[in-house]
Amino acid sequence: MNGRIGGVAAVLLTAAILYGMQRTTPLYSEITSPVPVRGMQGERVDTSAFAVGIAAVHLARTVTVEAFGQDRRYATSGVWVIVEAAAEAKRESLSLASADWLGPDGVRYRASQRFSIMPGMPGTERLEPGIPRPMLMAFEVPESQLAGATLLIARSAYTPLLEEAWIEMAGVEPENIRQSITLGRGNRLLPWTLEAE
Amino acid sequence: MATASAGERRVRRLCLTALAVALPAAILVHSRGDLLDLLREAMREPTVVERGEVQPYGGADWRMTELTRLPGELPGTVVILAEFEAAAIGPARLREAVPCVVALTDDRGRRWEPVFLTEPAVRRTRPDALEKPRCGAFEGSEEDGPIMMAESFLVPEDARGLSLSVALAGASPDRLLFR
Repeated sequence: MNGRIGGVAAVLLTAAILYGMQRTTPLYSEITSPVPVRGMQGERVDTSAFAVGIAAVHLARTVTVEAFGQDRRYATSGVWVIVEAAAEAKRESLSLASADWLGPDGVRYRASQRFSIMPGMPGTERLEPGIPRPMLMAFEVPESQLAGATLLIARSAYTPLLEEAWIEMAGVEPENIRQSITLGRGNRLLPWTLEAE
Repeated sequence: MATASAGERRVRRLCLTALAVALPAAILVHSRGDLLDLLREAMREPTVVERGEVQPYGGADWRMTELTRLPGELPGTVVILAEFEAAAIGPARLREAVPCVVALTDDRGRRWEPVFLTEPAVRRTRPDALEKPRCGAFEGSEEDGPIMMAESFLVPEDARGLSLSVALAGASPDRLLFR
């Protein structure tokens, strides 16, 4: 009698486990999505292929870019987030071409392409092992998506199962929004200049 | 619950043991040889060639002539100018073997690809190297003797034990490693 009750209990338990597994089966896109490597703003975040650290975050209503002797002004209905960082390849030459701003609501904002020709922007320079290089990123996000955001940096937006640095941002608050930021061309050591007004 | 007989237990053990063989075999068969190729390629060691020595590879005799350190423009960096040559012994085979993948490696296993643009140090001190083609330009040069090639790399000053890796797609998975 006890054996029969045990058998029925085992069948029910198995059914419950299978039901649970069926309900929680991840999507293919989730199985093959990049592997997050978590870190904090202000510290070096090491993935197996590259390391990255955030040096400064600037917020502004407009961005002016000096290029080819002309100033171009870029406005936004949200806020410009300009991130200055340093990155280094660890094992082999590579490019970091993907940068996303993950807001506190879970909405992802891709790095702006509006002035992607600026030196130092994602994908503009190849990183060499053992040689840290400055990196510049720009995002347009709503004001509500500033505080509590995470910056995601990867080699490519579409390569599955590669590591992606997830950097928790701190001190990115609406009260720090400036009226304007001007980006100019620098030299090889620091490819841009940044002035905030 | 009824206790399994000795015969049943033997069958179960046999099935479990068979599973340990059948599962890897199924994965191997379904990979259609890709897995074997991957393992073969991962385990294959490059052909090591000492500097100045000649090594037949992919339809040519290969030789590294110079590996020069030049000052880098960025602090803490040096430019490595690698000069090497290929004397065609099977011109058609060599032409069909492209693309040619060149890389510099160090004793820590780091790997650098050639720079896209000419480094100022090369332009300033070795303008003759600018005339040399990059690896892969094998068209119609076999009559003029060895094809002299040059590639430059930007590496940190602390990189030691540098070797030049040359791999032709047509000769894969073999590759050369010039020390």
